[in-house]
Amino acid sequence: MTQPEIRFKMPNWYYDKKALRKTPSFLDGISNSKEMRYRREGVRLIVKVGAKLGLKYETTASGTVYFHRFYMFHSFKQFPRFITSCCCLLLAGKVEETPKKCKQIIATAQEFLTDRQFQQFGDDPREEVMTLERILLKTIKFDLQVQHPYQFILKYAKGILGDRDKIGKMVQMAWTFINDSFQTTLCLQWEPEIIAIAAIYLASKLGQFEISDWQGRTPSQRRWWEAFASEVSNDLLEDICHQILDLYQTTHPEQPQDSPAEEEVSPGTPKRHRPASPPPQPKLKLEKKEEIHAIAQDKKLQAPPMPPMVSTINSVAPPLPKEPPQFFAPPPSEPPLIPSHQGFQSMPPLPPIPPQPNAIPNQPGIAAAQYPHPPPPLHPGLNTQGPPVHARPVGSNSSVSSAYPPHGYFMQVPPPQDFTASSHQFYQSGTGVHHMGTSPHQVRQMPQPAGGPIRDHYRTSSQSHHPYMRGQSAYMMPPQRR
Amino acid sequence: MNALKNYDDFNHIGTGAFGTVYKARDKKNEGRFVALKKVRVAITDDGVPLSVLREISLLKQLETFHHRNIVQLYDICHGKRGENDLVIFLVLEHVDQDLGSFLEKCPAPGLDPDLIRSIIHQMLTGIDFLHSNRIVHRDLKPQNVLITDKHVIKLADFGLARIYEYQMALTPVVVTLWYRAPEVLLQSAYASAVDLWSCGCIMAELFTRKPLFPGGSENAQLGKILEVIGAPARESWPEDVAMSWEHFSLYGKGEDLSKLIPEADAAALNLIGNLVEFDPTKRVTAEAALAHAYFENYVPDNDS
Repeated sequence: MTQPEIRFKMPNWYYDKKALRKTPSFLDGISNSKEMRYRREGVRLIVKVGAKLGLKYETTASGTVYFHRFYMFHSFKQFPRFITSCCCLLLAGKVEETPKKCKQIIATAQEFLTDRQFQQFGDDPREEVMTLERILLKTIKFDLQVQHPYQFILKYAKGILGDRDKIGKMVQMAWTFINDSFQTTLCLQWEPEIIAIAAIYLASKLGQFEISDWQGRTPSQRRWWEAFASEVSNDLLEDICHQILDLYQTTHPEQPQDSPAEEEVSPGTPKRHRPASPPPQPKLKLEKKEEIHAIAQDKKLQAPPMPPMVSTINSVAPPLPKEPPQFFAPPPSEPPLIPSHQGFQSMPPLPPIPPQPNAIPNQPGIAAAQYPHPPPPLHPGLNTQGPPVHARPVGSNSSVSSAYPPHGYFMQVPPPQDFTASSHQFYQSGTGVHHMGTSPHQVRQMPQPAGGPIRDHYRTSSQSHHPYMRGQSAYMMPPQRR
Repeated sequence: MNALKNYDDFNHIGTGAFGTVYKARDKKNEGRFVALKKVRVAITDDGVPLSVLREISLLKQLETFHHRNIVQLYDICHGKRGENDLVIFLVLEHVDQDLGSFLEKCPAPGLDPDLIRSIIHQMLTGIDFLHSNRIVHRDLKPQNVLITDKHVIKLADFGLARIYEYQMALTPVVVTLWYRAPEVLLQSAYASAVDLWSCGCIMAELFTRKPLFPGGSENAQLGKILEVIGAPARESWPEDVAMSWEHFSLYGKGEDLSKLIPEADAAALNLIGNLVEFDPTKRVTAEAALAHAYFENYVPDNDS
């Protein structure tokens, strides 16, 4: 007997801002700002351990998503964050088929933690992590296949027309924003497609590259992303950009510092050890590769102490170029984009520039011809493929392929063939994106008050129209984090 | 959350190689019936094995498509954890009848040809969907092709091979070989084409109501197949198998499918022939099969 009219309610991994404030930790007496710090610290540990173990960036990124999801069901008081970090990375390693031994993850984590922080792990750290694995699996309901914005950045960039060099640089910048975005709860708010659009949007603004033409542009499309997603407003993108930019804020309400979730550090407690998230204190000892990035870091930059996931990319990408990453000059003709934003003189470091841009190694056998249903280069017809919903990518099912490998299970999507030089590095890192028939995203209504969307929370109408020309106040965080 | 307490009225409905199956009522969803499959998975030093995690998460993802010809996976519940294993329950859409029992109950002179066409079309649609999502069923047979009262076909038990590996080692249940493709029997590398082979066997059985290749053992199974389809061409013989082609080259030209399956018309016979093709690289794909002349005037019925 079937009852097709009843649809099983899949867990919805997206939350509105209200739900993000009323988390289990909050209900357990942890302030929102403190929870955000715990999240950042937990994510940074995942990133550091992932980088140290040479895990590819998807693995690290999946781990961080598990981490954020987990704490939508549990309190940081009940589950110490660093154990969860290790467990998320362990699980992500298995899911992304880059497994690492539990012991190895714990040992690496220990290197980055103070003795006191490591006490979270108790007498039998492995058992702690193993026990947590079950709870983690239960909590995230085996929804382990996570898509990340990276692949969408590449896909969208492919369709953008213009100076390929500039586009390449823009992609790199957007990539870095994605790296850093994992420290925020954006992955709990928006689909990866939307975050990718926002990162390109931000990089385009900051990098002075105006996207004015794209493949398959139709007269009705005013903005480039309309080719990919419907009903994504500027306001929505700005809100996402601000959440990313907040990471670089110097005026963060709380000083990044480590304290165990279970207790407050009393002011008198002597700091015996190096903090896991250093700034503005002494820097972590950086590996050579990271030094370049570290130099580029502004001292004032507080929230992301080191480029969190760039190092992960380093582990798989070609060696860094000798010259430091390039930054983009402020716009000459307009008022500076980020004039009064203190933290922003220092852009987050960019992913490395590829030495041999045209090579696409690691993907030898997979020819595009094997893909009978590849997404068209720029999906003009996609909008017809799925019911349009609010701010939700459409046509995400289009890229399921019916080519399968001999043993039939998983394969990597081949890189787009004609993407230009400067962004090939991302493929060189051997990071074909796991692309299992993309799941239709959970439909979620955007919070849309009658007068306009999200931005109204923190922006007054008197402010300038251009989002990045607003004064300092424009960079204020949404109210809940004040 | 995801506890078994959401279900009651447990009824044992079977024990297979893959574990025990219960029928139960889903208290949360208007008391609909669900099938609960209890599976033990091994726990290694590093927790739940990679293969199991990947399979389950893939199934979860597949689920989001709500494909009509695929049994839905509603939920996954955790049972007890033992020393070396973990019990999980797959909560699946419950369908009362499978194609095996449906055929058994079917009175002479057999199924209506239009119904057969509809069944095969739906099966192929489901297989095509799985294959586009890089899932090979590997064990298609009438017993895990479910059929609803409205004759909607739903494929079950796909993609579970790796999840069940551990459980199967524990259960001494004989698995039927009748629907196994030759490359599987020969332990050669195999891919999605194995499902099309099984589909061909099932299609023939829908006409005749008896299995096309009822072999008794792995060797006998291969013998049965070659008796019917004839000796394979030299170049079709897989290179990665221990047995040499010469052993099997003595089989003749095979039998005439039209005599074996007199109930089928020419187009149906042609499709069956394309499905039970020895060489997996020449075997028809699900997508191509759906475009076969057999379905020329077929209008899929999508309302139910």
